[in-house]
Amino acid sequence: MYYVELLLVGLVWGCTYAMMALGLTLVYGLLRILHVAQATVFTLGAYVGLLVANHTGSLAAAFVAAGLAAGALGPLIYRLVYQPILDKPPFVALVASIGVLIAMEDGFRLVFGPYGLSFAKNTWFTTSLRFGGLSLNLVQIWIAIAAVVLLLLFALFATRTRAGVAWRATVSDPAIAESFGVSVSGVRHLSFFIASVLAGVAGVLVGLLNNLVEPGMGSVISYKGLAIIVLGGLGNVPGTLLASVLLGVVESFGTVYLDKVMDRDAIAFMFLIVVLMIRPQGLLGKAH
Amino acid sequence: MLEGRDLSIAFGGVRAVAGVNLRVERGELAGLIGPNGAGKTTLLRLLTGVLAPDSGSVRFEGRDVTQMPIHRRAQLGFVLTHQIVRPFRDMTVLDNVMVAAATQVTLRPWRALVSVDTRPARLRAQALLARLGIADAADKPARSVPLGYLKRMQVARALALEPRLLMLDEPLAGLNYTEAARFADLIAQLNAEGITIVLVEHNLGEVTRIARRLLVLHNGAVLAEGVPRDVMARHDVRDAYLGADQDAVAHA
Amino acid sequence: MDYYLSVATFAALNVILALGLNLISGFCGQVSLGHAAFYGLGAYGAALCSVAGLPMGLSVAVGMMVAGAFGILTGFAALRVREDFLAIVTMGVGFLFLGAVRKQAWLGAEMGIAKIPSPLDKWGYAMLAIGGAVALLLLSLHVRRSWMGRAFGAVAQDEDAARSIGIDVSGYKIAAFFIGTAAAGLAGGIYAHMTQLIVPDAFNFVQSVTILAMVVVGGIGSTLGVVAGAVLLTLMPEMFRFINDYKLLVYGGLLLAVMRFSPEGLAGLVHRWTGRRLA
Ligand SMILES: Nc1ncnc2c1ncn2[C@@H]1O[C@H](COP(=O)(O)OP(=O)(O)OP(=O)(O)O)[C@@H](O)[C@H]1O
Ligand SMILES: [Mg+2]
Repeated sequence: MYYVELLLVGLVWGCTYAMMALGLTLVYGLLRILHVAQATVFTLGAYVGLLVANHTGSLAAAFVAAGLAAGALGPLIYRLVYQPILDKPPFVALVASIGVLIAMEDGFRLVFGPYGLSFAKNTWFTTSLRFGGLSLNLVQIWIAIAAVVLLLLFALFATRTRAGVAWRATVSDPAIAESFGVSVSGVRHLSFFIASVLAGVAGVLVGLLNNLVEPGMGSVISYKGLAIIVLGGLGNVPGTLLASVLLGVVESFGTVYLDKVMDRDAIAFMFLIVVLMIRPQGLLGKAH
Repeated sequence: MLEGRDLSIAFGGVRAVAGVNLRVERGELAGLIGPNGAGKTTLLRLLTGVLAPDSGSVRFEGRDVTQMPIHRRAQLGFVLTHQIVRPFRDMTVLDNVMVAAATQVTLRPWRALVSVDTRPARLRAQALLARLGIADAADKPARSVPLGYLKRMQVARALALEPRLLMLDEPLAGLNYTEAARFADLIAQLNAEGITIVLVEHNLGEVTRIARRLLVLHNGAVLAEGVPRDVMARHDVRDAYLGADQDAVAHA
Repeated sequence: MDYYLSVATFAALNVILALGLNLISGFCGQVSLGHAAFYGLGAYGAALCSVAGLPMGLSVAVGMMVAGAFGILTGFAALRVREDFLAIVTMGVGFLFLGAVRKQAWLGAEMGIAKIPSPLDKWGYAMLAIGGAVALLLLSLHVRRSWMGRAFGAVAQDEDAARSIGIDVSGYKIAAFFIGTAAAGLAGGIYAHMTQLIVPDAFNFVQSVTILAMVVVGGIGSTLGVVAGAVLLTLMPEMFRFINDYKLLVYGGLLLAVMRFSPEGLAGLVHRWTGRRLA
């Protein structure tokens, strides 16, 4: 039973990572940018969600507001930060992105204070469900549901809609897509929008899960998000999802068995390094 | 001098090179031809170690070099120029050739650390640039000179390594008629000076003019081999170039 | 006076760290987002030796070798993965170091190592750090002029082309990692003795990014630019006391602004204004 519980907890974390990492992989696939600043979008989503929830008492309103705020911030970062430096060497965008993250994190601290805020009423957090000997709280269940539903919606979008087809065409060859009348700039904005909405929603969920929203909550999860997309084979969507779930489970078991040796973040990156030394192109990346 | 045995590699199902055997004799100038996608570049990459073969082996001067890293083969005098030019873009044309001219010094990092004398390498590099007729671009950054120059710079860089076996992948592509003829003459002259050369080219006029032996590659396998005149007269070679066999399959 | 001395010492330590990273990332082209880990390895290595009773000089040397040895290991990783993959792997090395040290009782876990013997006075540390910085500055200028620098340049610009002209790319990458991380170890050893107390958090990801910021603000690849970047970023919060509370805000904003308007850093600006390239 204990193992099953560890597995479930790991899967729930995997779902959270997936919501974060899918966006990072979209951005990477399109622009070859390691979008660390996505952490900011995640944290903004969490704060907006918390404020709205505490004011209106409605979690539904909180999610919508968080999604919209995050969805606005991501494309804005693209416009103001990345677009002007797309032709520069890759580290330029990476460093700029780290700059955005550090500045915004400090900004959150100045506006909302350093210690973090809690939800006034967090019934999901306090309600647990039991199945046999297992106990999960409602937030964990909602994380799993949200991840599955959002990823399915994304899959439908990518395979069944015109915009999705245009998007995939742009990923595989921007020049050809453009010559068929696809707006490459539009596709980029759309990708940042999708990535950011997912991150914003994930931010609220993680805020609920810990019943705490704090300025630095996004950074570690976005570093791990980067580790995940690298693990999955940079820009590879199925690889990213697989890596997310694997990482969640490895962390969950690792924190129990390796507790004396290293902390949770170290376990995650250890896993990354070991996998990459064996398969330098990532789990599902192509060789050559 | 060079012997490839049963070389094969596949890229996700596509057998780019399938069981090729070939020998290159010391002092010869062999042309390697074949239609687009025949596997010529891939074969050169297998021979020089840029790619590891799925099966087969490569021997250079009697030594099995299949597992030897590229830079070691280059140090032995077994050198490849790339089909797509790969200059060090932020260095000048002269510096590009100088790094190659200094391989004896850069062989060991620690030795390189204590070596600051650039004169011998500079003199050799300048001489090579002059020989290839690109001395006027010596101090320009490689990123700003035209393709014709880069192609020749790449050959200068290869010559700076004092190669004994030189593999040239489409050195004439992108050059105009007179440039190509002059460059082909230079290649023939290098060969006359003792460098063994394998030349991959689509400019059939020039290859047949300077090569003494031709190898035709088609669908990853050797289709024909021999004196240029005989090889070019063969029907299967003509068909391969014209894509006739694909049509034949389609009609059948 | 004491205050100025300690600012000067920190500026010098940052110069050592930044020049070390510049050797790896600027000269040899291998992105590293985990440089603080080697600073930490040097500090912990030296601190353990000193606490065990070794003289300071020897302890610092051991710290350098520990950092350099792990640097070589990271260099081997750089042979397997490139560019963006390498950036994330080195970031991982940083987290791995931190997460492992935090759990080790013999390294003091979260509390770190205290009561490290401190044989020198403030002047002594300042001179030592400045001496180290000058040595590294001279080394960097020398490397750039030497054949090692030219080979690094070839590796940085096109690994495959470098291989095909006979350059031992792996050897050079490992050499770059060794020299750069051993330098970080030197800074760590001096730091540990000077402050007499080290905790894991002094070597976290933000510290790695801070070192990287010095390199890029100065101009990646330019020795003099990087020295200027390191000094500037050390002094900035000191000169403008009022920004101390917004330090990270300004810091992040600065990184962003430099990347956006002059990705070649201070060295790039000098080049634009005077037409001369800084060494
Ligand atoms: N890295 C690779 N990954 C996948 N397929 C490859 C790769 N390199 C070559 N191929 C395939 O192998 C086949 C042979 O390619 P190769 O480049 O060797 O041909 P070539 O004879 O040099 O052609 P060209 O005359 O156009 O230069 C082609 O079908 C090509 O698409
Ligand atoms: Mg070819």
